[in-house]
Amino acid sequence: MAEGPGDGAEPPVLEMRDVGRCFASRDTGDAVQWVIRHLSFKVAAGEFVTIIGPSGAGKSTLLNLIAQTDLPSAGEILLRGTCIAAPGRRRLNPGVDRQIGYVTQDDNLLPWRSMLDNVLFPLEVQGRLDEEGRRRAATLVDAVGLTGFERHYPHELSGGMRKRCALIRTLVYDPPIILMDEPFGALDAQTRSQLQADLLRLWSMAGKTILFVTHDVAEAIALADRILILSRSPTAIAADCPVPIPRPRDLQNIYAVDGFAALHDTIRRQIQ
Amino acid sequence: MSPSRDPKAAQPDPAAGHGRARRKHRVRLIADRLLVGLALLALWQVASLASGSYWISPPLETLQRLAELALEGQLAMHAGYTLRAALFGFLIGGIPGLLLPFLLRRLPLLAEIVDPFMTAGYGLPKLALAPLLMLWFGIGIESKVALVASVIFFLVYFSTAAGIRSVDIRHLRMAQIAGASEAQLARKIIWPAAVPFVFAGLRISLPYAIGGAVIAELISSNRGLGYLVQLGAMNFDTSTVFAALAAIALIVLTANWLVVRAETHLLRWRPPQEPALGEIPA
Amino acid sequence: MTSPATAGRAAAASARRRRQLLLGRLALAAALLLGWDLLFRYLGPVYMAPPLAVLVRLAELAGNGQLLADLSVTLQACIAGFALGTAGGAALPLLLRLSPRLTRAVEPYVMASMGVPVFTLVPLLILWFGIDLLPKIIITAVMVFYIVFVGTFAGLRAIDGRLVAMARLVGASGTRVAREIYWNGILPYLFASLKLALPRALSATIVAEFLVADAGLGFYIENSRQQADTVGVFAGIVMVVALVLGADALLKLWERRALRWRPVDRQLNPVS
Repeated sequence: MAEGPGDGAEPPVLEMRDVGRCFASRDTGDAVQWVIRHLSFKVAAGEFVTIIGPSGAGKSTLLNLIAQTDLPSAGEILLRGTCIAAPGRRRLNPGVDRQIGYVTQDDNLLPWRSMLDNVLFPLEVQGRLDEEGRRRAATLVDAVGLTGFERHYPHELSGGMRKRCALIRTLVYDPPIILMDEPFGALDAQTRSQLQADLLRLWSMAGKTILFVTHDVAEAIALADRILILSRSPTAIAADCPVPIPRPRDLQNIYAVDGFAALHDTIRRQIQ
Repeated sequence: MSPSRDPKAAQPDPAAGHGRARRKHRVRLIADRLLVGLALLALWQVASLASGSYWISPPLETLQRLAELALEGQLAMHAGYTLRAALFGFLIGGIPGLLLPFLLRRLPLLAEIVDPFMTAGYGLPKLALAPLLMLWFGIGIESKVALVASVIFFLVYFSTAAGIRSVDIRHLRMAQIAGASEAQLARKIIWPAAVPFVFAGLRISLPYAIGGAVIAELISSNRGLGYLVQLGAMNFDTSTVFAALAAIALIVLTANWLVVRAETHLLRWRPPQEPALGEIPA
Repeated sequence: MTSPATAGRAAAASARRRRQLLLGRLALAAALLLGWDLLFRYLGPVYMAPPLAVLVRLAELAGNGQLLADLSVTLQACIAGFALGTAGGAALPLLLRLSPRLTRAVEPYVMASMGVPVFTLVPLLILWFGIDLLPKIIITAVMVFYIVFVGTFAGLRAIDGRLVAMARLVGASGTRVAREIYWNGILPYLFASLKLALPRALSATIVAEFLVADAGLGFYIENSRQQADTVGVFAGIVMVVALVLGADALLKLWERRALRWRPVDRQLNPVS
């Protein structure tokens, strides 16, 4: 399955081959429980892929495997054709040498750093905090409309502002692949659609590959080139459906676009 | 910070599960703890052998001395004196400390006026006042009671005040709308909400009460466990010093255990609490 | 919307209240001083020292250098004990982190040892170490140790694992994580415990000096008592109280600077 646009001359940026993850269940002693099993897909460079599935479908576990904050129990994960994770390896390499950025559900801002210092944090720990980095940070701050809040501490920012800060903290060090785990879940509808628009603009500017997990069908369609639908546990890919809506998209009126309603219906039925 | 708290409640068990694995974990934990206990006893013994029992009374000798003191009735006499001072001080300081915040709730202006004075009183090093209290009340039990009371009053006052502040304003409104009188509000809404804080205050103050009495006795007294420690030290009789110390520790631990038991019984309605190590120790 | 008239009324009411508050506090302070004076008249000079005599005595002591001498003896023991206790109390939880199993095994003993009133050890320490500074330093250190130990332990427990994961993901090294996440996470707890420990350290040194000393503030107070020098007792106690309150104020100031990033926090300060 997963005959995505990744099939071509160059290898896909990211490939999951028959990946599985299991946990030993303590209740029963030795028996293991598979959370993810036989999961395969490919992602091409510059693609925006959303992943959607029923709740409890191991979506976060999947992203953790790709970001390598966790290791698979079966199969392998390839980055541009090179294997980066397979069972048997012991050492984790979170972020795969800054190849993969990860925007988690919680913003995880450091409460003791100001907004700008939070954005600069990755550059600082990577020893790349130079003039150019600062300039890029300033550009990003401006791009998401946070100018004027540089010296504010996280507790002085609104939920939407904190999310923007977390987003540009990942963009600032320019990882080619960005994983996003329901990043806009806890926001109100208005802020949410603003952030979606911001995200699409940044994506088209920077040419990143994005894997975006959500449980909101409309959001999945509005953002993606392609939607991966997960099955219930153990999780695998249940369907891979392209989104034929042309870009640039008008997120405000995406509901009115031809084919949106039909696609929305199909996907909703799939994940029920 | 309660030593007697059930260890399984005090530690989020990382291997929490069911059945065999969990039981195995418990057994290993108990074995570990016994091992550490034995190691400490061995360390004590070795230290006493190395320095000579003149400086450090070995475990067995300490136990023997404790039994002797108990049989002679000396232990009961001294402990009784200390406990009496602690109890009276606890009551004399604790009861006003408990009632005053309820009274001040009704008089917000007065409450704000006295607030900085109370804070200063709380910050005051009460133990440093001991010589003054002895000047006033003599070296008998009165000065010990006064010291304990002055320590306990502020502790109970502030924990009760925190409890009253924690009352959910919506509950108060609800009760007022339902027609509750001020007295009913205090009894039926404020008191139950404040009880956990009051107990936290009691748990913190109890060791203070006993400790305060003992310290006053150390400074100047002719009776009490603190006096026993001082007497042993002056006679270079470390077994008496150690025995008295053990008795004090035992009394404090027992008192703590009793308060925690009473607390868990009275506060059954509360959802399970975070482990106690989160608090700053008394 | 509030009309300007009601707003003006509200402002006037709050100004009136502030005035009442100030007057009430002044009146209470005056009443306390008056009560002190009345008690002196009623009880006589054996039990009370008049405020003025205490001031005169303090000026005398300051003039002939005795105040400075006693103060420096007390502060030496206090500072040494405070430093030792803080270092031990902060280091032990970090060491215990290395072995959760050992932590759980040791826990009941640490808890039980907290039950022993620290001062009861003074006679024993005098027996062991004589009447020099050492017993006072040890008592102060033990006092501080427990407070800092429990505070650091709680701080360590409250470290947000997600922040650690985030930092690793963007490429922070182990020492970097320790410095950034652990240090900043523990800091508020450390301050809370230092604030609690400082007055106790001072009174620990002074009480130890009651019990054994030939110099120091505590010695001065207890010696005055034994010689029925009531004015001396009062002067010494006033000095101690000023010292404790002053130290507390200084620490608060420092804390406010170091923890500017925190929202106002009442939870850690029982009294504020």
